[in-house]
Amino acid sequence: MSKSLEVLLLDDEPIVGRRLKPALDKIGCHVEIFENPIEAVARIDEKEFDIVVTDIRMEKMNGMQVFEHVKKKWPRTKVIIITGYAKMELAREAMEKGIFDFIAKPFRPDDLRQIIARAAQALGTPIDLTLIKD
Amino acid sequence: MTPPPELPTLTDDSEDDENLKLKERPSISIRMTIAISYALFFLLCVAITISSFWTISILEDKIKFLEITDNYLVEIQQARRFEKNYLLYGTNLDDALEHLTNAKKILSANSKTIKKIMGEKIFQSNSDYMQKYHDQLLKLGGEKKTGKIDDIVPLLRQYGGEMVSSAEEFVKKERGSVARMLMMAKRVPFYFISGLLVLIMIFVIYLTQNLMVTLKRFMDYTKRIGEGDFSPIVPAKKFKDEFTKLAEAFNTMIRELNHKHSILLESHKLRAIGTLVAGVAHELNNPLNNTLLTAEMLKEDLTVLSDTEKIEMIDDMINETVRSQVIVKGLLDFARESETTIKPLKIEKIVSEAIRLVANQVKMAMVKLKTNFEDNLPGIYGDEQLLKQVFVNLIINALDVLPPGGEVCVDIHKNKNSDFVVVEVEDNGPGIPEHIQSRIFEPFFTTKGQSKGTGLGLSVSKGIIRKLGGYMHLKRSSESGTIFMVSLPAIESPSEMMSKK
Repeated sequence: MSKSLEVLLLDDEPIVGRRLKPALDKIGCHVEIFENPIEAVARIDEKEFDIVVTDIRMEKMNGMQVFEHVKKKWPRTKVIIITGYAKMELAREAMEKGIFDFIAKPFRPDDLRQIIARAAQALGTPIDLTLIKD
Repeated sequence: MTPPPELPTLTDDSEDDENLKLKERPSISIRMTIAISYALFFLLCVAITISSFWTISILEDKIKFLEITDNYLVEIQQARRFEKNYLLYGTNLDDALEHLTNAKKILSANSKTIKKIMGEKIFQSNSDYMQKYHDQLLKLGGEKKTGKIDDIVPLLRQYGGEMVSSAEEFVKKERGSVARMLMMAKRVPFYFISGLLVLIMIFVIYLTQNLMVTLKRFMDYTKRIGEGDFSPIVPAKKFKDEFTKLAEAFNTMIRELNHKHSILLESHKLRAIGTLVAGVAHELNNPLNNTLLTAEMLKEDLTVLSDTEKIEMIDDMINETVRSQVIVKGLLDFARESETTIKPLKIEKIVSEAIRLVANQVKMAMVKLKTNFEDNLPGIYGDEQLLKQVFVNLIINALDVLPPGGEVCVDIHKNKNSDFVVVEVEDNGPGIPEHIQSRIFEPFFTTKGQSKGTGLGLSVSKGIIRKLGGYMHLKRSSESGTIFMVSLPAIESPSEMMSKK
């Protein structure tokens, strides 16, 4: 496997990061987890991530604002939005704006891994999901 | 301690009692009042007719009698004329005697009436003069041949003069009486008609006054009912009338309205629940997601995880499940169907629970919610669920108009000048346009559009607060924000009650 996929995961629920970090590590991602969007945005300013996964609903800043920030700074970065529940209009709006995909809570680790794999494919650095089974 | 306000019960037997109270009064209906008045007017008209008839018939008699008195005067004057002719020309004296006899006949035939008019004394002296004149006249006749008439003539003249002047006076008197009577006959109808006019005016004023006052009262009832006060109408007057039927109909309507209102309350609650459910569903997804991710990873990594890690993950799942339970319980408590029960409550507790219920909406709207509760607040009387509904509604209304970053402040304090606890819900939203401010408490008035609002929130809330003896109004609304104020009667503070003991 070549260079690992740089992923930033932002969700104000600590358990999300705690569980998804090992899950994504397994498919060859290097994951940095954040609970505070302000801190996450500061980190994004410092470093270009391949993929940013962010919750939509947070207190200080919402996922869309994080997305706008990423888009301005790193146009190549794929952004995946986690939503509380699926809302068609939100999905459409997200897609139009250039968000890579969105995923509705509750989801399984594999659901996110599938999306990340597609994002990796789109970035030109495909990953092998069969790795998980080992 | 302040007595608890009247319970807003859904089915109310006491209203039948109220209708009984309305019925159990002696009745003086408007119809009867009018009938009695008409009867009075009729009697008055009959009286006018009878009195006119009576005056006219008296006048008739009087005029007839006037002829008699005229005849009487003529006879006397004739007697005197013949007496003079006798003395001057020596004509026959019998003619004078004959006329005098006629006059005497008239006098004696009508003595009763004449006595009444002239009086006994004058009548007597009149008859005396006539008798004396008659005597002198006879004497004159006797002395015709002797020619000794010098003694007789002065007496004859004296008595004759007295007799004539007395008769003239009598006739004059009688004419005067007839004239007076005529005058009266002319005036009496005018008096009666003026009296009748005054009576009619008094009656009309009484009736309209009575009607206006009662109508005003019923207008006040409709206003009161419109504001959500569904207490039945109680008798306001001593007697029942046509309005009693209206009051009974009102009470029936009030009972129906009360029933409908309770259904409305329920649907309004359902609406609030619907709003809350969206937030709760959203909120539930977080612990569910945490549980699902943890369970999946635990399964995936079962063989590689250490016992400590496994325990930690299981604990996470337990905690997240409990968290879900708490979220669901809050909504269930709110949605639970229950009878309205008025009991002493802590207002700050109710408001806090309402805030907890809308916490998700607050988060979703990305709005800041601040609270400012005064210490040692007195208790209030109320129904926990209904009050929670009021405050949930007020906060959700504020959230609906606030842009992200907006602020809602809930303030509770005791009113210094009265025994009321005041809850103020303030937002820094765009404010309510002035031209609709007076309408916001009207049922079915909404600015949110059919899909979002029923237009019942504020009107139902106001109804709930009114029932608890409180007030709800828009304190201020401008471009810088809106404040809704809810005041509820305070129960005396526990320390005061202690000191009384």
